[in-house]
Amino acid sequence: MRSGIATVFLIARRDFITRVRTRLFLIGTILILVAIAGYVAFQVLVLSKQGKVSAYKVAYVGGAQSLADPLAAAVKSLGFSIERKPVRDQAQGETQVLSGSLDVLMSGSADSPQVLVRDQFSPTLAALLNQIVQQRALDRELAGAGLNPAQVEARVASARVQVHSLKPPVGQEQRLQAVAAGFVAALFLYMALLTYGNFIAQGVVEEKANRIVEILLSTVRPEQLLIGKVVGIGLVGLLQFVVIGIFAFVVTTVTHVFTVPTAAAGIVLAGLLWFVLGYFLYAIMFAAGGSLVSRQEEVQSVVFPITMLAILAWFVAIGVLTPMFDGQPMSNVGIILGMIPFFSPVLLPTGMATGDMAAWQVLLAVVLTLGLTAAATWLAARIYANSVLRLGARVKLREALRGG
Amino acid sequence: MDAGLQVDQVSRRYGQVVALQDLSFQVAPGELFGFVGSNGAGKTTTMRIVMGVLAADVGEVRWNGGRVTLESRRRFGYMPEERGLYPKMRVLEELVYLAELHGLTSAAARAAAAGWLERLGLSDRGNDEVQKLSRGNQQRVQLAAALLYDPELLILDEPFAGLDPVAVDVMSDVLRERAKVGIPVVFSSHQLDIVERLCDHVGIIQSGRMVASGTVDELRRGGPRRYWIEAPMAVDGWAQAVSGLAVVRRDGSRTLLELADGTDDQAVLHAALATGPVHEFRRDIPPLSELFRHVVSEKAQA
Repeated sequence: MRSGIATVFLIARRDFITRVRTRLFLIGTILILVAIAGYVAFQVLVLSKQGKVSAYKVAYVGGAQSLADPLAAAVKSLGFSIERKPVRDQAQGETQVLSGSLDVLMSGSADSPQVLVRDQFSPTLAALLNQIVQQRALDRELAGAGLNPAQVEARVASARVQVHSLKPPVGQEQRLQAVAAGFVAALFLYMALLTYGNFIAQGVVEEKANRIVEILLSTVRPEQLLIGKVVGIGLVGLLQFVVIGIFAFVVTTVTHVFTVPTAAAGIVLAGLLWFVLGYFLYAIMFAAGGSLVSRQEEVQSVVFPITMLAILAWFVAIGVLTPMFDGQPMSNVGIILGMIPFFSPVLLPTGMATGDMAAWQVLLAVVLTLGLTAAATWLAARIYANSVLRLGARVKLREALRGG
Repeated sequence: MDAGLQVDQVSRRYGQVVALQDLSFQVAPGELFGFVGSNGAGKTTTMRIVMGVLAADVGEVRWNGGRVTLESRRRFGYMPEERGLYPKMRVLEELVYLAELHGLTSAAARAAAAGWLERLGLSDRGNDEVQKLSRGNQQRVQLAAALLYDPELLILDEPFAGLDPVAVDVMSDVLRERAKVGIPVVFSSHQLDIVERLCDHVGIIQSGRMVASGTVDELRRGGPRRYWIEAPMAVDGWAQAVSGLAVVRRDGSRTLLELADGTDDQAVLHAALATGPVHEFRRDIPPLSELFRHVVSEKAQA
């Protein structure tokens, strides 16, 4: 006697091997890898170009020269720099500005400088300059009133709002990366659900259409065949997920597109957990749907409601996750939606990675999803067993549920 | 007495349509059982119920006296009417997979698959995709799939359909050989000459009921008693002298007579000899095909 698990293993292994060996899988995976590499290359090129633009070529003549140091210090904190160019006089500077070899020519006194540019002046630089000039004016007034400007400034600087946080959030940058990673996980999961869900429905119909199911069911139980197929194709998806994940991790790390946060492992694990949970829930529905029809052409129409559910889940994910890119926490509506099993897979990776969902909420979502999956598996096995041997016209769902 | 396959009072409906009605038969170890009947008579439904891919509404299928379970069915070899193989798998891999599903170890599955491919003349096609094989060769692979794991019972639905004469011989040899080692073999066919040649027992099914079953000989002799007689000197009407004798037809100097129950064939012969010389006096045993037509049309009228 062989155990049921060994039977499921045999079935899963066949589905895994025959699919991994196809050209479709190889080419599909390579295309995704090329797309990722292309995206990263694009990022690297665009970012490096933007980096060059942010160095301004500035020349000073006359009293304005004393503004050079404070301006250089001020721009440093904003992430761009100033390259100071020497000019002989105003006339040479004007020529250079006109030709474009100089961005800004500053002249006049330090208290009321003149700025010359070719077409328009950066509003950021203008604001900085105004701040510096106004500070100088303020210092002068303070000195005139017999006060020490440095002391006054120190006292002014110490007057500030004290912020206390009851639930200290993760660092803003880290949080954004968590949201971004959660979003990517949701996107990948959504695409994987549709792709592999359809593979499963087609695989079920294939067995039904060429009647091998009759031989298989004389030696294995319908639920073993169903679960074996779902697991086998799921492992193909998981393999692709892992290959793509490792590739993306290596490429983005090597090129420094993303600074991978320390919490990366947690996000990846959350994504993986929900990939498995979400995949199984949807896959089992796709399999039951596929068993109702006998021809590949009919697959799309019969799995349409399940496809719509997956698409709805993706829209829910966009709706809930988009505001979070502005730094907002996950909304209460989002948290409640996240506990609905059909939406959990696309929302929970983000909810877990950002810490916006409490442990009990995560646990509840897991339990609800597992519970619904168990119920769906029972129901799907029933539908599958009752319709997989019925060829010809599409089997009505009601008949499939009632049996025989 | 309980050894072999027993189908006991099995009934099955599809909605309002009665597919099987109180169908019973048994096949002993080593017996070749031919299942004949018109299209839609219920042969495939019966085989599917035996293989457990369809449930009976009423009745039971027993194997060696016990209820058929998934474990016992794993030891049954099955060739469904609609051939079922993964078209894109390689022949050898497909056979190994099916053998493993039936409980063979990987090594044993490989050996069995290679052995049957060799036996069926397909050794050089093991690495081809099933869909690249001709129909006849796919059918051989299908047969191999049913035999791989040394089944204890063979259920073959239309195994001879679409085979060339050479393949028919190969298939016949394999079935005979399996029966010889003590396995009950059940197969359905429309080719009644093959059934007649091959089978020990025949069951004729019509509209879901078993209308006749027994050995081929029993069935053929079970019809009306008819004799060919050639008595050239006999004049018309001589047969009327014997009661319970009717002329079916004449063929030159030969006459086909039908004897009513209780009529002694020796009395008929004496009456014929009284007219002069008798060159031929022979029991007419109809071929199975004629008997089949007779049974089926009789039931259709009833």
